[in-house]
Amino acid sequence: MENHDHISNQFDNDLESIRNHVLSMGGLVETNVKNAITSLLERDQALAEEVAKADFKVNQMEVEIDEECTQIIARRQPAAGDLRLVLTAIKVITDLERIGDEAEKIGRYAQTLASKKAKTGMHLELQTLGEKVSSMLNKTLDAFARMDASQAMEVVGLDIRIDEEFDRISRLLVSHMMEEPKNIKSMLRVSWCARSLERIGDHAQNICEYVIYSVHGEDVRHADIDKVKKEYLSKQE
Amino acid sequence: MEISDNMDLDQEISKTVGSPLLESKVRIACRDVNVFYNKNVQAIFNVNLDIGKNQILAMIGPSGCGKSTLLRCFNRMNDTIEDCVVDGLIELDGENIHSKKIDPVVLRANVGMVFQKPNPFPKSIYDNVAYGPRLHGLTQNNSELDDIVEESLTKAGLWKETKDRLNKPGTGLSGGQQQRLCIARAIAVKPEVILMDEPTSALDPIATATIEELMSELKSAYTIVIVTHSMQQAARISDRTAYFHLGRLVEVDETGHIFTNPNHSLTENYITGRFG
Amino acid sequence: MNNLEIVKAGLNKRYAKERRFKFYGIFSISLSLLFLFFLLFDIGAKSIPAFTQTYINLDIEFDKKSMKLQDQDSYSEETLFSASYSKLGRNALYKLFPEVTERKQKKALRQMLSSGARYDLRDAVLENNDYVGTTQNLWVLAGDDIDAFVKGLIDRNIPEADRRVKDYQVKWVDILEAQNKIERRFNINFFTSGDSREPEQAGILGALKGSFYTMLVTLLLSFPIAVSAAIYLEEFAPKNNWWIDIIEININNLAAVPSIVFGILGLAVYINVFGVPRSAPLVGGLVLTLMTLPTIIISTRAALKSVPPSIREAALSIGASKMQVITHHVLPLAMPGILTGSIIGMAQALGETAPLLMIGMVAFVADIPQSILDPATVLPVQVFIWSDSPERGFIALTSAAIVTLLVFLFFMNLIAIVLRKKFETRW
Repeated sequence: MENHDHISNQFDNDLESIRNHVLSMGGLVETNVKNAITSLLERDQALAEEVAKADFKVNQMEVEIDEECTQIIARRQPAAGDLRLVLTAIKVITDLERIGDEAEKIGRYAQTLASKKAKTGMHLELQTLGEKVSSMLNKTLDAFARMDASQAMEVVGLDIRIDEEFDRISRLLVSHMMEEPKNIKSMLRVSWCARSLERIGDHAQNICEYVIYSVHGEDVRHADIDKVKKEYLSKQE
Repeated sequence: MEISDNMDLDQEISKTVGSPLLESKVRIACRDVNVFYNKNVQAIFNVNLDIGKNQILAMIGPSGCGKSTLLRCFNRMNDTIEDCVVDGLIELDGENIHSKKIDPVVLRANVGMVFQKPNPFPKSIYDNVAYGPRLHGLTQNNSELDDIVEESLTKAGLWKETKDRLNKPGTGLSGGQQQRLCIARAIAVKPEVILMDEPTSALDPIATATIEELMSELKSAYTIVIVTHSMQQAARISDRTAYFHLGRLVEVDETGHIFTNPNHSLTENYITGRFG
Repeated sequence: MNNLEIVKAGLNKRYAKERRFKFYGIFSISLSLLFLFFLLFDIGAKSIPAFTQTYINLDIEFDKKSMKLQDQDSYSEETLFSASYSKLGRNALYKLFPEVTERKQKKALRQMLSSGARYDLRDAVLENNDYVGTTQNLWVLAGDDIDAFVKGLIDRNIPEADRRVKDYQVKWVDILEAQNKIERRFNINFFTSGDSREPEQAGILGALKGSFYTMLVTLLLSFPIAVSAAIYLEEFAPKNNWWIDIIEININNLAAVPSIVFGILGLAVYINVFGVPRSAPLVGGLVLTLMTLPTIIISTRAALKSVPPSIREAALSIGASKMQVITHHVLPLAMPGILTGSIIGMAQALGETAPLLMIGMVAFVADIPQSILDPATVLPVQVFIWSDSPERGFIALTSAAIVTLLVFLFFMNLIAIVLRKKFETRW
């Protein structure tokens, strides 16, 4: 995104440091989400416990990056692209923190699901959703790392697939609950996991929208993404 | 504010908040410094302040708050103003700068100063930088002098632009270049401390940014004290910030702290633009 | 009416005012230029005759008898110098006009030649010793009436009783002219000799040198004293000190004191108390120094004040002492202003007459001064003396002296401008 360095080296370094920290926070969150899904699918209690505990590190990073952003706003008064970058960072880490929370939740449910030796195999149905979510998250972070708006726009579209998959799983779970009422508790846990994964997708979408804002300065949060995409493409031509 | 408020003010600012004193690496120390003009007009009230080595201290505050006056105490430029009396102790590296042992000429060779308006001498660029070393006889021959000039201009980030026209008048440079020339002139005598009195207030933003960048580079070798009207500038470049108000030092702290969470309400009012 | 209309309505009046003001300015400048040109033209035109002189070609017979020399083959310089040359010119004229026998006419014929002609002949003999005993064809300086007549300053049509040239003299001049024996030449004499009672022999060199020596003394004394005084008052003197205030007030008042008072002072103090020689450029310079000092002090202080304080601060902050700040920075920067003030003061001094009258520089001095201790006069006083002289030839000389004074002034200003430019470009 930056074609020129700032006259102040320190400012460059500070901005770069924020980006790097957000990226490493993203990496951490991504690992947590992957581990959560793995622990859920493979009933890996130890991994699930690790995931549940790993969230404090994410929270700590959020606070640190927040402080960094506060300092850079107070001391550097960033403008234009720099300002959008800092604002984006502040918003991105909020969503990342929420993703981290969702991963923690999944980890906790995974712990119970693994320990109770729940008889249901429904958790395996989450595999597709999990793959889709973690792939979306991966692409999101990639788009942020490269500040690639067109990729971000594509990723925003992926959320619909995730929502469809979530609906499918919900319907499936409802029909199974009616068939096997005694497993409702486990089913609910699986449903909550699915819900968490769907939420992660939503947060990832938010992050992508921030990336688009950061690059183009256009707020696309509540707009029709296809329209924005078209506009953007026509502008490029 | 009016004079009648001063009683309240004295109570309000009974003691400087923040961390005016440092535990180690002190270069300049002020203890109970009072400055008077015309015997009865007091410009500075009981200032206690340490300035650390390799640090940039920014002094901010509304006009007439005494920050420039205090700055000019550090190299005894106030001596040239008649009826200006400096009371209290000011130490440079542990030595009282007002003691009889220290000649102001020697002190000023050790404490350089850069002014608000770029003020190069109406001489060539070379002579501007070489003036100090020549004055103090710092060099034995011309090649040594050449080296000092090149070194100083390089440090001031001006060598590339001026190496082909060292014999051209310094006043022909642009405002920002002139100010960097003044910085080069100040560091040519190898001082320990550089005092800057609103060095960028006459410059455009780009030249300002260049000077600011230069300051953060010079920080590694010098102690820099800068008086500035721009809080943003203080926020950008300084390590510590001191807020002055009507001759009193209200608050001193790490710059990041001052600009996000100042302890004194006067400081907060000033940096948020609510002063008055 | 809204504001715009009110503004528009008043606009014409404003512009008319502006035009009127412009017109006044142009008018007054044109008027003063007109006067200036008239003055210069008048003086210039009147001075032209002074730059030429009339010479008469005569066959001078250097016979030893008229020269009152003993019959010898060669003579020493002293003998030749003390020989008599007064009869040579008139003998040649008698020879040329043998018909003139009447005493009165003979006297008129003698007066055709300048009384200084004998000195020219003496100089010619001193240069060529072998003239003695021979006859030489030489150009001899004409008398001032003949000179004026040849230059057309005396009209031959006015009655003989009213003019200084008699009818027979006119006839002789006509005869000489017909024989090409009368000629106007460039007046070298004017630039090479001192004052004289005879206009055709009077020169400006004495006054010129007198002015030069006087100015030299004035400059050498007033410039360093005034500049040092100004530096002290401006840079070192304590402020708000009533001694200094009194000195300042006195200096300012001194600039307004009538110049003749300085002359009286010079007479009373320099000549009577210190015994400085009268009429000498030294005492003239001393008196003019008194006059010039306040002018230079005031302008130097203004020049010093106008040096931006930022330059002083810059030098001080590097560690220059006060004296270094002044000598390295302030003085060079103030130099153009100081020079301007000095030249104004010097020009004033150059044109000053009154105080010099008091110290005897108005005396008639025929010798050219060789040092500042010799009696001398100066250009403006020379103008004054000549304008007061009755002879016809002095009218042109007065104008020529004024022209010389103006040229001298012009060169002084030129030097000042060159110096100032030099100082300005150095910085």
